[in-house]
Amino acid sequence: MRCGGSTPISGSSDLVAQDVSFAYVGAATAALRHIDLAVAAGEVVLVTGLSGCGKSTLAMALCGLIPSRVHGELRGRVTFGGRPLSGLPPHEASQLVGMVFQNPNLQLINHTVQSEVAFGPENLALPQPEIAARVNWCLEVTSMAGMRTASTVTLSGGQKQRTAIAATLAMRPRVLVLDEPLSDLDPVGAQEVLGTLRRLARDEGTGVVIIEHRVDEVAPWADRVVLMDGGRIVLDQPPRLAWADQDKWAGIGVGVPDVVRLAHALPDAFDGRLPLSVDEAVSAARENWLVPALTQAAAARATARSGLSPPKCAADPVLSWEHVSVDFDATRAVDDVSLAIAEGEWVAMIGANGSGKSTLTGLTVGLGTPSAGQVRFRGKPVRPGKVFEHAAQVALLLQAADEMLFEETVIGELSFGSKFRALPPDPVLTIEEAIAFFGFRGLEQVSPWQLSQGGRQRLALGALLVGAPGVLVLDEPTTGQDAERMRAFLHLLEAVRARTGLTVLTVTHDIRGLASRAARIVLLGEGKVRLDGPASEVFARTEQLRRCGVLAPPVARLQVELLGPATKDVLLSVEEIAATVNAYRQPGVAAGLPASGVPARTAGTS
Amino acid sequence: MSSLLARTAIAYVIVFAVPMILPVIFIKFVGLGGLRELVTYEARDTPLHKLDPRLKVLYPIAMGVLSIILNWDFMLIVFGLSIIPWFWLRPSRAKIRVLMIMVIGPGLTGFWSQGLYYLPSPPIHYIYQFPWTISWLGSPGITAYGMVFGLQQTARVLVTVSTSMLILVSTDVGDFTWAFERFRMPPQVGFALTAALRFLPDMISRTMLVFRAIELRGYDLSRPRWYQVGQWWDYARRVCRCVVLVTVPLLVGSLRGTTTMAMVADARGFGANKRRGSLQEHHLTAVDVGGYVVLVVLVGTAIVLNHFHIGARPY
Repeated sequence: MRCGGSTPISGSSDLVAQDVSFAYVGAATAALRHIDLAVAAGEVVLVTGLSGCGKSTLAMALCGLIPSRVHGELRGRVTFGGRPLSGLPPHEASQLVGMVFQNPNLQLINHTVQSEVAFGPENLALPQPEIAARVNWCLEVTSMAGMRTASTVTLSGGQKQRTAIAATLAMRPRVLVLDEPLSDLDPVGAQEVLGTLRRLARDEGTGVVIIEHRVDEVAPWADRVVLMDGGRIVLDQPPRLAWADQDKWAGIGVGVPDVVRLAHALPDAFDGRLPLSVDEAVSAARENWLVPALTQAAAARATARSGLSPPKCAADPVLSWEHVSVDFDATRAVDDVSLAIAEGEWVAMIGANGSGKSTLTGLTVGLGTPSAGQVRFRGKPVRPGKVFEHAAQVALLLQAADEMLFEETVIGELSFGSKFRALPPDPVLTIEEAIAFFGFRGLEQVSPWQLSQGGRQRLALGALLVGAPGVLVLDEPTTGQDAERMRAFLHLLEAVRARTGLTVLTVTHDIRGLASRAARIVLLGEGKVRLDGPASEVFARTEQLRRCGVLAPPVARLQVELLGPATKDVLLSVEEIAATVNAYRQPGVAAGLPASGVPARTAGTS
Repeated sequence: MSSLLARTAIAYVIVFAVPMILPVIFIKFVGLGGLRELVTYEARDTPLHKLDPRLKVLYPIAMGVLSIILNWDFMLIVFGLSIIPWFWLRPSRAKIRVLMIMVIGPGLTGFWSQGLYYLPSPPIHYIYQFPWTISWLGSPGITAYGMVFGLQQTARVLVTVSTSMLILVSTDVGDFTWAFERFRMPPQVGFALTAALRFLPDMISRTMLVFRAIELRGYDLSRPRWYQVGQWWDYARRVCRCVVLVTVPLLVGSLRGTTTMAMVADARGFGANKRRGSLQEHHLTAVDVGGYVVLVVLVGTAIVLNHFHIGARPY
């Protein structure tokens, strides 16, 4: 089914899917249902939707990997320039439509960047000058020419993804399909990849299909937005039209860019236009009432702040790092870090990939050895290597939660720890409570591998909380998750905190969701603590964040752009901004505001 | 009686020290991380890195031939020859540490085991003769003859290990593929080797991650101290049980990965043609020619010596 306003399928479009339906072997329901989609040369198409809605299946169908490599029942036609892709061998289809998979680590087969890029042309038995020309061109357009002899294992996430793109481009495809290319990347790495894709579309005329949950970052670049639900395309329009009506998105539970939400909340603040990026929002709002209203609100907050005493350091921190440094061979991963986290705090640790976040949090359970300094839990030193001992105090949920599941049933997972260690007298949750709290009632005997990805993550979290940890450490818990799952996870985390009062430390790139909810933000850059304070103040330092490879949330950047670099703090959610500026634009209402100058946080903000 | 007691104690130390120390040394200084180090290519600008890949593939084969056709008396010399190229390679400190353990470990094992159990024809000169309280285990004592023989045996094995490792750490996997193709071998052989070498370090990393995860879930993998002898058995039992538990996540993760990798290889046209092209063009240099000459001279000399029954193995 297609929606009004979408790009018509015509002969001029290069890649065309016509009435495509697909069901995996043995599946009760179809993964794709009557898909009609067209991608023209030089066009950038953003495909989004909830996890499991069929996006990745669509990507494989568009690339001709269905049904040749992914088996099932395929109906309809996928063609490129009128030529059917479905029957072509993968190496021929990939010279028309190339696919970049989600995890770059699984796509880099060779050892060096140039040998990876050359792999495809070598397989085509092209002459050496042609192979060299293709490699040079691909490395040039992906800005990887300076790293051609680098080992692929030493690359950053963004560089790996760009290498995977270069290797796919070496097959000279006319359309590039990317399945969640940003999921493992920090914001700077994501911008590198998006910049590359934009250049490819604009300068080389390559059609680009980006399947992604992170719509905020892709929205400014996209020519069209496709929304999928239950294997169908329910919306296919240019971005401004696609997001003109938020109800459809809200109904499905898919995230909308923050600036779009703000424009809907304050329709007259942006001259009636729908901005897609912070820059567009700034240029639309610079000359109207929004700036004075934000200025007044900021001044009121500053006045309220001046009456407060400065925050005190925790006297008896639950976790502390005292002048901690960690060296890996000749590289200093953590450099003289001193931090303390008080009982019951929620702290988010942010920073670019490789800034030392995971190293620092790993030390809290004895993973790794500091080359200098001391890590303490409730005043007692954490002994390196004694993971079993410290895991009883600090529950660490790894990013790869799947790697933390070892049993055959849900109940087996929840009782796993108690087989090897006596159950604590005062667990955060009993096994029974965990079953009810995490929604596993009736699923006790089900295999963990039959649960969804979110379910497996909940199970791993529940299993950790069945002990008696004093601190919960979460390493990138929302990576690669759609907006609905992120929201669900945030609600779950808040419910856990409300029920248990646990201290929570999260390592995250999810600046918009997870980090903005934390009471305190610690920014790491090159192994050092660069900023440490409330989220509203840290996210006002947009330049400093950028220097550390982090982009502040779009609403924070908008406020700093409008109010100037001297801005001391920012409002963190669309709802807060809308309520605040609406209050200040109406004469006489401002006097009735609370002393903080910020109305109470609206329930369900995100 | 006290003399017998002391001699028995010393004998027990001689017999059991090595098998107890070796696993500890391996776990402490090598471990899974060290194994990953061992098979990882190090990109450097050394003469060895620039050699013709075909020559590098032939080098372990040629040295292997020497270790097979020459007798025990020549083994330490052949092993010494296989060590020399490492000085040109200048490997990283971490790699040297692992390599030393991987050489010293088997060396010590051969030295010790043959010293105890390989007995020359009588009269036997013992370095230390065991009392009856331990000789019932099968070894009457430790002999210098046996120890030297153990070293020679180990050297024979280590020649292949040393030469193969040298090539692994100094050769880009793409060059291996190129060399195999020039030897008219099917591209699948080169690809299988490429994929194995590329993903083996990843697999080791994932195994380490899963072992960490199981500890985080409350499984005790903490090692007892060396003197807590009574706890070592329990530790070994826990490690064995853990291997069973970690198999599922490792297997699931690996299968997921291989499916993607296979699709990537297909999409990049692997197997589309019988012959492949190559980005690299290797031209023979004077150093390559020198290398070929050295290999031919070494193997040729060994064959000639064999012909004259010098250093020949008795058959």
